Amino acid sequence: PSLHAFSLQTSCSLLMERQTEREWPDLGPAALYTFSGCPPLSSTSAAGNKLYSALLLSVMGVCIFVCVCCSQYLSPLSVYPDTSLHRQQSLPHRPTIPMVARIADQNTSGTPAMTEREASRLDKFKQVLAGPNTDLEELRKLSWSGIPRQVRPITWKLLSGYLPANTERRESTLQRKRQEYFGFIEQYYDSRNEEHHQDTYRQIHIDIPRTNPLIPLFQQASVQEIFERILFIWAIRHPASGYVQGINDLVTPFFVVYVFEYTKEEVENFDVSSLQEAALRNIEADSFWCMSKLLDGIQDNYTFAQPGIQRKVKALEELVSRIDETVHVHMQQYEVEYLQFAFRWMNNLLMRELPLRCTIRLWDTYQAEPEGFSHFHLYVCAAFLVRWRKEILDQRDFQGLMILLQNLPTMHWGNEEVSVLLAEAYRLKFAFADAPNHYKR
Amino acid sequence: MAYAYLFKYIIIGDTGVGKSCLLLQFTDKRFQPVHDLTIGVEFGARMITIDGKQIKLQIWDTAGQESFRSITRSYYRGAAGALLVYDITRRDTFNHLTTWLEDARQHSNSNMVIMLIGNKSDLESRREVKKEEGEAFAREHGLIFMETSAKTASNVEEAFINTAKEIYEKIQEGVFDINNEANGIKIGPQHATTNSTLSGSQGGQQAGGGCC
Repeated sequence: PSLHAFSLQTSCSLLMERQTEREWPDLGPAALYTFSGCPPLSSTSAAGNKLYSALLLSVMGVCIFVCVCCSQYLSPLSVYPDTSLHRQQSLPHRPTIPMVARIADQNTSGTPAMTEREASRLDKFKQVLAGPNTDLEELRKLSWSGIPRQVRPITWKLLSGYLPANTERRESTLQRKRQEYFGFIEQYYDSRNEEHHQDTYRQIHIDIPRTNPLIPLFQQASVQEIFERILFIWAIRHPASGYVQGINDLVTPFFVVYVFEYTKEEVENFDVSSLQEAALRNIEADSFWCMSKLLDGIQDNYTFAQPGIQRKVKALEELVSRIDETVHVHMQQYEVEYLQFAFRWMNNLLMRELPLRCTIRLWDTYQAEPEGFSHFHLYVCAAFLVRWRKEILDQRDFQGLMILLQNLPTMHWGNEEVSVLLAEAYRLKFAFADAPNHYKR
Repeated sequence: MAYAYLFKYIIIGDTGVGKSCLLLQFTDKRFQPVHDLTIGVEFGARMITIDGKQIKLQIWDTAGQESFRSITRSYYRGAAGALLVYDITRRDTFNHLTTWLEDARQHSNSNMVIMLIGNKSDLESRREVKKEEGEAFAREHGLIFMETSAKTASNVEEAFINTAKEIYEKIQEGVFDINNEANGIKIGPQHATTNSTLSGSQGGQQAGGGCC
């Protein structure tokens, strides 16, 4: 028992130390952790939890926890954000970020001091990006655990397939695509008031002021006009779905990241009129194309009757019933249906449930994952739901559950929480994606 | 909290007519001029008192955009009351009422009480739909009618409560089968006891979640 306790303490504090530097640990093949929810191997009590043995693997810089003592579900989430004792010992308290300052942190704001580790990560990115041909596989691997904000714009453009890997072709590609986009505007934008497009435009026009209503950047007239053009052109070029509410949100991360290419200021309160017109046009065209690439992969989310969403919500329910039967049964008992809360999770890719800074971090990984938006998102949703298992189980009626699930308290979340979520999602994918009957009851 | 009945509502109507604002005004007694648009459905709840009885209202606020219709339709079933909302400053939202009504009648139980609401009554100078037109439409289709302002809170309380009164009367008359939950009515633990100790805190507002 004492050996267990010792190892636990060492590995946990190491984990915490690394985590504050926004890196996942590379602890080697085996370590000891506490897990709640699987049968005890030893009865040692640390921080009120029973101690279990587990094997830890490190893949793509992500921790995967595989229990060596039982076949039950293991949650790294229960290892460390919830072990409050360890958290208090090792993690300094982060100030709560107020609602209005939602996007003002490491992902979008100016230049906080870089740690050594961050600097070395940035160097790695710069090396990969420097060659005449960018190794996209290598860039994906690096990006999975987060992209430094200085290289995020170029990295997103490369990962989304908007920019070619070949450095020499990039500038000409950009020019061509930007011209093409403004060609669309010239050709089609005037048709917005014609009868057959009037409804589409009117809906977009009503929705834009309701997009990120609390962030001043998006209340500027010229920004709203950019969003209207992007959405209108996209909608009429994709008549199978047209514009569906929620798609408006999906422009936002691209826009914010590409604005950051032109300013060192904090983006949230940034006045776009201080940018040159050419810069603003580039941001607009780049946002349009990258959003289009994203939507190409999830179009059946927005076609008639939204079959993609229906399918994914069913898959989420099935997955949760396998990974956390207690939570699943609890929700069933109070007649909560997954569609009632998870529809929005799929329709808006969790953007409504997370602060914008977290969405940006999430999308680093989605763009690094094969089928990140269309497939990996499901595992993120499952990890996200189970993340609230305690809060969910505390609720003892339909109403309490519904209000909780539609207002999950993520306001203070930052990169750390998203990284934990992603690691858990990765573990779920690892365990379930190619094993549809694994853990099936 | 104990209650005599639970009524389920649905709020429907064109996009941007103020459905979410009405709900927010009713549950939280506040008005938010710009707010996130509703995706799919959102949930709200509040306790009211009718005839000395505590009644819990659980309300589904639906997205107005046509694309979500296949999702929102499933919420008609199991609703005892519907608020059908149009915007008095936008004629087209009034013109679409027939479609909404057909949709509601087709997918709900036949006894569902429908309240027609002309919202944004504070914007008198921009009015495009006369009050009389709303009244006439309601009369013709057997609906109750009110003009409201989610902004000033005018008639908001009344709209939700009068709908509940109508449902309550139908229960008294034996029109509703209260043992069938598909009708959007549930008998609560407080049923059959007369209003006991809970008079002080009616309209229990939610403070960030979990009321009633």
